[in-house]
Amino acid sequence: MLANEERIMNLLKEVYDPELGINIVDLGLIYEIKEEVDRLYVKMTLTTAGCPMHDTIKSAVEWVLKDEKPIVEVDVVFEPSWEPQLMSDWAKSMLGF
Amino acid sequence: MTKISRLPFLFIVTGIVGFIAFHATSIFSLSTWLTEELRGPNGWFQVHLFVLGWATMLAMGAVYQLIHVILQTHIYSEKLGYAHYLCFTAGLIGTLYGFLYGEVYVLAIFATLMLLGILLFAFNMAVTLYKAKHWDTITISAAIAVAYLVLTGISGLLMGLNLALGYWVELHGRLFGAHIWLGTIGWFGLLITGFSYKMLPMFYLAHDYPKKLQTIILLLWNAAVIAGVLSFLLNGKPWTMQLALALLTIAFIIYNVHLLHIRKNRFKKNPGAGIQWSMYVNHGFAIILILLLAFSIYKPDQMLSSEAVRLAGWLYLGGWVSLMVLCYASKIVPFLWWTYKYGKLAGKQSIPMMSDLLNDKKVKVSLTCLISAALLMQMGLVSNNAILISIFGIIFSLCSFVYIALISFVFRK
Repeated sequence: MLANEERIMNLLKEVYDPELGINIVDLGLIYEIKEEVDRLYVKMTLTTAGCPMHDTIKSAVEWVLKDEKPIVEVDVVFEPSWEPQLMSDWAKSMLGF
Repeated sequence: MTKISRLPFLFIVTGIVGFIAFHATSIFSLSTWLTEELRGPNGWFQVHLFVLGWATMLAMGAVYQLIHVILQTHIYSEKLGYAHYLCFTAGLIGTLYGFLYGEVYVLAIFATLMLLGILLFAFNMAVTLYKAKHWDTITISAAIAVAYLVLTGISGLLMGLNLALGYWVELHGRLFGAHIWLGTIGWFGLLITGFSYKMLPMFYLAHDYPKKLQTIILLLWNAAVIAGVLSFLLNGKPWTMQLALALLTIAFIIYNVHLLHIRKNRFKKNPGAGIQWSMYVNHGFAIILILLLAFSIYKPDQMLSSEAVRLAGWLYLGGWVSLMVLCYASKIVPFLWWTYKYGKLAGKQSIPMMSDLLNDKKVKVSLTCLISAALLMQMGLVSNNAILISIFGIIFSLCSFVYIALISFVFRK
């Protein structure tokens, strides 16, 4: 992982799923980060299609990354769908597994 | 970020007021209106306050909230939603007054207003769903549930007209049965089962569970609604009602199997006390339904006696429906409030998690007390013991006040 990507991942750890109480990085919701000269692209998913936190989480991601590049694009996709195996061991233990 | 609608709040807060009003008016009179005056002014007043002022009001709020969540789109018209609220609430208040004081014309005018509210709701939902073109077992269940609510309103209005004009006297009892069946099994049943398909996997964080059973449940449940309505309207032989009950029981058992599949495939061990209790309530009611079906086969002549209907009605409405609404409220209310108050601040500053808004241990204790009191009160009904009904009815109401206060305090956080 590039140094800047790691920094972006740390910023994204500030965004939590408010119901689960776990940040979106440990939940395994971030699929891809692409950095260009004046654009930052984040491809992510949610734990379920039709997640009630869709707008909240997307706008929180945009907010924490707003100072990184002039254009921040957050793409929420459901293909491939999220799998529980994408969670970190810490997230699994927080959920009791 | 899309604007958060205040519409669900209006319905949910009014539903909470309805719940408090019901318990405040019935705390010392439960055994009287429930056992002696169920088909009289007091009984009609209490039943409609409970069913419409509390359960339906809160359910409508949940529909406005969850349809937005499921479809990821706003409802067709927010203004129509507010018009629905005004017509339904004003209509309900007038209808309750009409029931209590036996004012037939007041009843006719306000019940029509309430039906207008339901029609606005149905129209708004129909256009929203049609435009979204997102059909699955959740949206189909919700759509059919609303259709049954419309039919419940229409059959209620026909009964009112019948009372006022006396055109179809021999049809009154048949309409009465169909009205109850459509509202209880049709509207509440399909709405609760349909929304459970969304709520439970969400809060259990369940994945890769089989979904085929949802279609089977939907088909069987609808068959039970239609069989029951036809049995009442056509004054069918006892076997027709037994058939409806059997279909409902099978649907409910399969529904429980499906819930267990969801639970088995969970990735969150503790979904919260409200969701855990909702599972117990579902399992418990499955057993009750099997017993009711056995009773209907064993004593078909007493299946529709006033005692049996009163007991089954209270087990279903005061038991399964109301307890499910209460259990789900422990998730719906914090969720709604968090999104409204903190959603726009997420990621920007330190804000509470959803679980910080409602203490789960307190939810567990108060729900345990409330459900225990409800069960003991049912024992009083089964044994036809007015003292037991009174004592546990009072405890049930007191526990209900505590629980709903706990839920209401979320709005202060």
